[in-house]
Amino acid sequence: MIDVSRVTKSIEGLPPFPDVVGRALHVLDDPQASVSELVSVVQYDPSITANVLKLCNSAYYGLSREVRSLREGLVLLGNAQLKDIILAGTVVKYLGKGTNGYDLAKGELWKHSVATGIFGRIIAKRLFEKEPPSLFTACLLHDIGKVVLDAFVDADFEQLRDLVSKGEHSFLEAEKEILGIDHAEIGAEVAQKWDFPAEIVQAIRMHHRPMDVSSDDVTTPVVYLANIFTVFLGIGVGRSGLFCRGHEDVMIRFGLDGKDIQDLLMNFYDEFNKVQDMLGLV
Amino acid sequence: MNVVVGIADMKVSNDPGAILVTHSLGSCIGLAVYDPVAKVGGMLHYMLPEGSLDSQKARERPFMFADTGIPRLFKACYQLGAEKKRMIVKVAGGSQVMDPTGRFNIGKRNYAALRKIFWKNNVLIDREDVGGNCNRTMWLRVDSGEVRLKISGRGYCTL
Repeated sequence: MIDVSRVTKSIEGLPPFPDVVGRALHVLDDPQASVSELVSVVQYDPSITANVLKLCNSAYYGLSREVRSLREGLVLLGNAQLKDIILAGTVVKYLGKGTNGYDLAKGELWKHSVATGIFGRIIAKRLFEKEPPSLFTACLLHDIGKVVLDAFVDADFEQLRDLVSKGEHSFLEAEKEILGIDHAEIGAEVAQKWDFPAEIVQAIRMHHRPMDVSSDDVTTPVVYLANIFTVFLGIGVGRSGLFCRGHEDVMIRFGLDGKDIQDLLMNFYDEFNKVQDMLGLV
Repeated sequence: MNVVVGIADMKVSNDPGAILVTHSLGSCIGLAVYDPVAKVGGMLHYMLPEGSLDSQKARERPFMFADTGIPRLFKACYQLGAEKKRMIVKVAGGSQVMDPTGRFNIGKRNYAALRKIFWKNNVLIDREDVGGNCNRTMWLRVDSGEVRLKISGRGYCTL
């Protein structure tokens, strides 16, 4: 087993979460904040503005007129959606690269993350009156730990594969066994370092163990299901394959059966076709 | 030249330079058919077993479902000169997550739907690599009919 501190230390190698984005998200979380405040925070970051305009005008948001400024974007979309867009444009820098250990080509992990976000939305629409506020962000970031763990998975892949092929361990459990830490745990540490809200940190940490969260946490089990469904479709799955556990309890908790899964998969397809602009950020 | 078959998609070709490829077969099924005399190949990547789940969707996106996609794949090949009796049929995918209860078992249902349709229509499967917990990519060379797979954790092989 390798020294876990070596893995956690490599978090330091990740670029810091951009300060300007952190401040923008903070402003968007504040119901009292004005449009001018947000504009003043992000106006000097051309990549944020460019991404906002590109995504606002994409088919996914389906706005009736063209958005030409950040201010217009905010007025037309509202805080929650603008937050998603700013975040997506930022995390793509981390999730867009290829990974060797997990054998994901450039853009694959990003595609997986966006697909999970879309599934999260579809599931939430089905289950709740209002989408949990952190859900989309948590879905987008759930596998951020893979970016850090990748080099270690690469180095010890044969051991991981051998353990998983015996049939007792999921890929995540094998990571824990061989590397001493799994991608969900390390991802939660990254999110913590980036000062993300506690519910997002929790959803990342527990996205393979949804039965161990309290009943008031609805974000984690939805992220779990969204990830599993994305894995069904093989989107950005790579070497870890379908070696993850199906937890029936989550389905029972939300009153979902096999036909519901098929329904959700079917509805995903059209939504996913609308987010090609988001995928094109890589 | 690679011709990509997306999720819920189908492609057929008689161009000897074409290689049909479908990525990301998890619980979905990839079906490759080939007539070695007419040198016509086709590939379908379907997600779900039955179009009766939503008949409107089945009309709009027939390649999403086994029962609406498979007949269209064969018919599209016949239009290019392929004949049923010569068709070589290869199947990959239908994986599942680790789920002893079977509640998440879309992969098995997808494969069962295919078997049922083939049984009714007297179609035999020549080769298959289905089930398990892996993720697969499938290629079909239109010049030779060779089908290659990339299987997560196992590497490349010829089917």
